[in-house]
This record gives sequence, C-alpha cells and structure tokens, in this order.
Amino acid sequence: MTDIIKVEQLCKKFKIKKDSSGLKSFFKPEYKTVNAVDKISFSIKKGERVAFIGPNGAGKSTTIKMLSSILYPTSGHAEVFGLIPWENRRTLSKHIGTVFGQRSQLWYNLPVQDSFNLLGKIYDLDEIKFKRRLSKLVKLFEIRDLLSHPTCSLSLGQRMRCEIVASLIHNPEILFLDEPTIGLDVTAKEIIRTLIKKQALEEETTLLLTSHDTDDMEKVCDRVIIINKGKLIFNDSIQALKDSYLSKKYIEVTTEDGEKIRQEINTHQIPIKKAIDDLVKRYHVSDITVENPPMEEIIKEIYKRD
Amino acid sequence: MVADFVKICKLFFYIQKSNVKTAFFNTGDAVVNILMMTINNLSFVFMWWVIFHNKGSINGWTFSEMALLFAVSNNAFATYALFARGIQNIPEYIANGSLDNYLVTPRSSLFMISVSESTFANWGDYLTGFIMFFLSGYVSWSCFFLMLFVSFMGFILLYALRLIVSCFAFFASDTQRLGDNMFMAFLTFGMQPASIFTGWYKILFLTIIPAGFLSLIPVRILTDFHLSDLGLMMGYCFLLLFIAIRFFYFGLKRYTSGNRFGVR
Repeated sequence: MTDIIKVEQLCKKFKIKKDSSGLKSFFKPEYKTVNAVDKISFSIKKGERVAFIGPNGAGKSTTIKMLSSILYPTSGHAEVFGLIPWENRRTLSKHIGTVFGQRSQLWYNLPVQDSFNLLGKIYDLDEIKFKRRLSKLVKLFEIRDLLSHPTCSLSLGQRMRCEIVASLIHNPEILFLDEPTIGLDVTAKEIIRTLIKKQALEEETTLLLTSHDTDDMEKVCDRVIIINKGKLIFNDSIQALKDSYLSKKYIEVTTEDGEKIRQEINTHQIPIKKAIDDLVKRYHVSDITVENPPMEEIIKEIYKRD
Repeated sequence: MVADFVKICKLFFYIQKSNVKTAFFNTGDAVVNILMMTINNLSFVFMWWVIFHNKGSINGWTFSEMALLFAVSNNAFATYALFARGIQNIPEYIANGSLDNYLVTPRSSLFMISVSESTFANWGDYLTGFIMFFLSGYVSWSCFFLMLFVSFMGFILLYALRLIVSCFAFFASDTQRLGDNMFMAFLTFGMQPASIFTGWYKILFLTIIPAGFLSLIPVRILTDFHLSDLGLMMGYCFLLLFIAIRFFYFGLKRYTSGNRFGVR
C-alpha cells in the first residue's frame, strides 16, 4: 500500500519572549527559541489509524497543524496526498478533514443542519451527493435529533459528534483529529471512539489522532507514534508497544478469608509462573488474576526513559 | 474564471443569508437595532446641521458637502460592517487559534475570514447614507450612481486599512485594542469637514492618515467632477488593498496557532 503521508526531518521552532513585563522588555525584548518539533520522520499508509501520543507541549498538535496546512514548518519536508501542505492549502483541504477538540467549526448560533449546508456550499458539493452523504453520516453518528438544534445548545459530547460529521461531509481520505475526546465524560468518550473507528473502517479513512488519553489510542488506532520534547521516540504497532515495554505485571490474589493482596512483578527478574507459585504457597488462595499495567503507565515509563 | 466568480458570489450570498439568520437568533429585534443605529447617526448629523445653520460655511463647505460626506462614509462603513467585518477579529482569531478553521477550507482564507462576521444593525448606516444623499441637494441619477461608486471605493479603503492594522497581530501579541483605536481614529478624521485641513495637514490627510480619501476626494468627485480625482481615489484604494492583502499573507507565515478554548 502506498504512503499517504510522508514526513522527513520536519522541524518547527517558536520564538518566545522571555519576560514580557517591565519597561526593559518593551524596549529590548529578549527571546528564546523552542524546538516544538525536532526533526521527526515517519510515514502513514492509506487506511491506517495512527495515534499521536505525547505529554503537553510534546509537539503533537504542531505536527498535525503542519500536516493539515495550518502552520509553516521551520525546515524539513512533508507530503500529504502527494502535496506539500503549506504550499497547497486549498487543494489539500478537499482531501482532508480536521477536528480540533478545543474549538468548533460549526456556527455557534445556527442550527446544526444550517452549518452542514453552509459547509456543503464552502466545499462546493453537488446538491444530491451532499444530501446522500449527510444522510449517511447522520445515521452513522446518530445525530438526526440534533439537526434542528443550534450549536450553542448542544452538550459537549453531542457537539463533538456533529463536529466529526462536519469534518467528514466532503468525504475526505484523511481525517486529522486533535484531542477529539478532550473534556468529555467516560460515556461520551466511549461513543466518540466507537463512532470514529466504525466510520474509518467502513470508509477506509486514514486517521491521525492526537490525544492525552491512551484509551483513545487503544480503542481506535492500530499504530502509535510517541513524541516527547519534539522528538519521535516510538513508532510501531500498539501490540509492539506492549511487547517492548511490558516487563511489569500485577497479580491480585483473593484469600479464602476475603482478603485481597496485590503484587507487582518484574517479569525480567521473576518468571510469572514462579511468582504465582510463591503466592499460592503462602496464602489460601480462592481466586487469582494477572493483569498488564494500564497503557497510561507504559507511556509514563517511556517518557521517563526518554 | 467566470464559473469560479459565480460560485464565490453564490457562497457569499449564502453566508450573508446565514448571517441574517444569526442576527435574528441573537436579538430577535434586529429591525429595532437598525432604526436605533439610524437615529444614532442622524443625531450626529443634527449636531453638524446646527453648526452649519449658525456659521453658514466652514472654509467653503456647507451642509450640502457635509451631507455628501455622511452619505459616502455611512455607505462605505455599512458595506464593510455588513459584508467584511470579520477581518477586525483577526487578532482574536490569532490569539485563540480559531484562525485554523479558515485555513483548512478550499476557499480563500481571507474571503472566509472577511465574511465570518456581520453586524446586522449596520443596515441603519445604509439608511442614513441614502437619507443624507437626498438631503444634500445633489440629487440626480448620475450623482447617485457616482455616490455608490465612490462609497464602494471608500469601502475598499476602510477594508484595506482595517486589514493592515489587524495583521499587526501576527507580529505582536494583543493588538486588538490598538487596531480598534487606530481604526476609530481614522474614522473620526474622515467624518470632519475636509475643508478644515489645509497646508501640511492636508498632505498628512491624504497620505499617512488617508482620511481625505473618505471625505475630501469623494465629495470633490460628487460636487466638481474631475476624472483625475476619480483616478487618484481608485489608484490609492487599490494600491492600499494590494499592500494589505500581501501583508496578510506575509503575516500568515508567522502564524503560530494558539490553543485557547472557544467557539467560532
């Protein structure tokens, strides 16, 4: 399968004023340069669902914004759909969809249906095809009841479903999602993840998703790219991530008295079988479970090592 | 080319329709707002009528010239406020990152930003503009169409100036208030009888603070038509527009996209 996104040695530096208070800084401002994205390279094939994970300020959003033509890079090269994003903004926008969890692309006071109609005009979509497409997305994302509501009256979860539909109206081949579950409750997050994955599988949409929430990555994506301090530190499948970093396991034992004992095992030092045998010998065990550490912990471990 | 122009016109009218819908959602009494705006404008005109009534003329300008100035400036401002006011939000869009929304559409980002806001009450400025034209005494079809044309040039001037001051935000933070103040200062200059500016002030009035292109030159075109004045006005307005657009795209390369929470 061909690469739909190619990134080579991409860099983005920001100049930040050191201290903006006081007269001295007004007449003689001092700046420091921050490497938001530092020579990262990767590629993504058509239909892949890739999570872009990293702590705050790691450079996730900056990378996605360069790939979606919003920001100019300081140096390096990128191609999306064979186009250099920042040089082909308008052409590229027909092939990509963007969802920014922290802001809306819907018109605040207009009914959702009107926002969709307006987007149909902006993307110059054929009336019949637009109606057919919208009807499919409305059904898929279960938003029929929301169409007549103004955006300002929607809950965050409802709004996010509408935002995703808005970004898919022109049938893009690539969908960039920047923190799509930010601020949502557990149930709403689960709904959004399920719907994003369902749509991507049905229409073979390539996904590039940034998130702080590792559940987004596990439940939606099949590959993960981890960046920290602007540098790429991991780029492989989620299974490979687990295999490489899963040296820890948790064994939870329930004794016949109902007491629960939880033990952390480093499988590189003690084989799991030996650890279970030791526990069975020491206690009257009525139940036993072995768990992998949550993905959150694995990621934290990677950041620490970096 | 023609097909593209037709498409952009269709989109423009569709967006305006949505803006009207938004205006009625916001207030429900949009018509009252238009009338209030007209009354507000006319009360300002009344003050000048009293001055001219008592003084007769100021350096050769009578109430007729002043009425023409109000006709042109109100129509120019109404066109800007109704159809292109979005550019005044550029500093805010830059600060909260919502400029992103306008950069990922297949349309010109500047067009999308320009039409992103409309103030419905400014239909009252059109109403004032037409009332003032009829009060000026220069009523003829040729003068009417010429007034519409110079008002459109005035709109281009306002649009270009506002775009330039808004684009300062690409280079310095928090320039919203600075932009608002500079624009208001320009409008204040433009709403005075141009005859009070003579000598060096007149040169200043037609160069650094080009308010003369909103008052002196249009009024002269309407009262004492010379093709050279029309050419001068058109040349200056289109040159400024060209500089403003280049400045916008130059600034856009420095855009860093913020992450403040918010909605469009």
